[in-house]
Amino acid sequence: MSIEIILIKAREAILECDAKKAVTVAQQALEEGLDPIEVLTNGFSVGIRDIGDLFGRGQVFLPELMMSAQAMKEATVILEAALQAGDIAKKGKMLIGTVQGDVHDIGKGIVVAMIKTQSIEVIDLGRDVPVHTLIEKAMEYNVDIIGTSALLTTTLPEQRKLEDQLRKLGLREKFKTMVGGAPCTQRWADRIGADAYAEDAAQAVTKVIELIGQKN
Amino acid sequence: MSKFFTRMGDGFGIYLSEEEIRADIEEGTKDAADRAQIPQLSKEEMDHLYDIVTMPGIVVGVERGQEVVTTSDSGGCKISYHCNIAIDRSTAILIHEKVLGADSLDLGHIDYSYKAVKSVLHDEAAMMELTQLNSVIPVLYGSMPNLGLYTKPDGPVDNWAELLPLGRIDEARAAQEEAVEHAVKDIVYVAEGMYEAGADGMNIDTSGASGDADVLAALKAIEIIKQKFPDLGIEMGMAGEFILGMHGKLEYDGVRLAGLYPHNQVKLAEKAGANIFGAVVNTNSNMSFPWNIARTVTFVKACTEAANIPVHVNVGMGVGGVPMCEVPPVDVVTRADKALIEIGKADGL
Repeated sequence: MSIEIILIKAREAILECDAKKAVTVAQQALEEGLDPIEVLTNGFSVGIRDIGDLFGRGQVFLPELMMSAQAMKEATVILEAALQAGDIAKKGKMLIGTVQGDVHDIGKGIVVAMIKTQSIEVIDLGRDVPVHTLIEKAMEYNVDIIGTSALLTTTLPEQRKLEDQLRKLGLREKFKTMVGGAPCTQRWADRIGADAYAEDAAQAVTKVIELIGQKN
Repeated sequence: MSKFFTRMGDGFGIYLSEEEIRADIEEGTKDAADRAQIPQLSKEEMDHLYDIVTMPGIVVGVERGQEVVTTSDSGGCKISYHCNIAIDRSTAILIHEKVLGADSLDLGHIDYSYKAVKSVLHDEAAMMELTQLNSVIPVLYGSMPNLGLYTKPDGPVDNWAELLPLGRIDEARAAQEEAVEHAVKDIVYVAEGMYEAGADGMNIDTSGASGDADVLAALKAIEIIKQKFPDLGIEMGMAGEFILGMHGKLEYDGVRLAGLYPHNQVKLAEKAGANIFGAVVNTNSNMSFPWNIARTVTFVKACTEAANIPVHVNVGMGVGGVPMCEVPPVDVVTRADKALIEIGKADGL
């Protein structure tokens, strides 16, 4: 089977939320001697981005999104097993939380599910998380990225507080930071000095991979 | 080339050329049309919108004779928590009526969820009665179905936000169905108390904040309230431009709720017995005001064309084309209002 067909089938498996099909495609790709990273990046990940887009348009719903994330996860396990140790070492750790004063975490939950599919370890601190807890836990787990979500204009300043606090403690260079949430923009990320901004879950996955690449 | 002052969806001030504004208006209407499968704005409507966006005054208004009425959500609390002036809610409503010229208002508790207010219904009913004795405008009682409050550890039902990521889809769906029944009971219970206290109506607000089950609870409750109290007005306000499919399979009157856009949502609100529909269109903080308002007006126009009941569009922070910032700037708020009324044919705001 050609690489093109494998990539199409990988994308389809995700869009159809079909974990069995995803596993079969991943196994076929390995049997054919294809590059696991290419199959992940240009096949399964494309499916995840597409389903994220459909979700954002109200054409796919949360249960399907979760099932496709599971399909992605199962395929990723198989493809990763075939990767060299050096490749696996590229993956990193991310700490994530909704900032203090904010209890909105549906979006963050989706971001977490999507990032986990990339074999990145995610420590989810939940919602209403104070800045000092974010920093303490980031140190404890020795993470690469601290991600924060804020859905309210009134809680957005907590993201700035994190940046200020990290600078004050001399820890700013130790972690990459990423911000998201409805009132958040790239302009806000630039203004407070965050390393990345993601508009939605699909973009969060891409940005996290980029940030981890920068750290390594 | 001259440029016009406008804003981004986060309120940031920018200057755009005529070409850029027209391009954004076109892209905005296309985006709405593509998502909801509805018609784009016509050339004349886009020209009118361009005129509204670029009008020289800081504050703009509708043409004489096109004025519309206003309703509100949690209006009784807003002087206190936005202006930091410590007054009781009844006084706040009187200020809205006698000083600010509001056409109607809703009294709501700061917790603003039916589950939370049922335990203080006697206090809320007393406040409603006092307000009704002093005011002339229609005063509704408002709260949210807020289905999330029925999940563990806050409530009796399993937490679907925890079950879904574990792949326990059937259990997550069953939990939502169970929560619907609890919410319907609470909404109807509060409506009964408010009817006795003399409320002019109920505002079932921010329906859908917890997804499609949240909307189902609102619709079922409206149906029951309408049967019990046919004279009690009911406003159904939405949480977002499409119904989030947290469950994905729930139906009302044979129509799947998840994924419905305003022009389809309003038909179900009508069917259930709502008297006013509060359409919501989300603002994208990364796009310009011309893009956002073109998109909003496109959704709203389709909704008002489909509706047989008045549509009062949500125009506030982060919705209705208004930027997502703490104090929405008057320049874009008044432009959004004018566009929604003159092009979107909104019956109220």
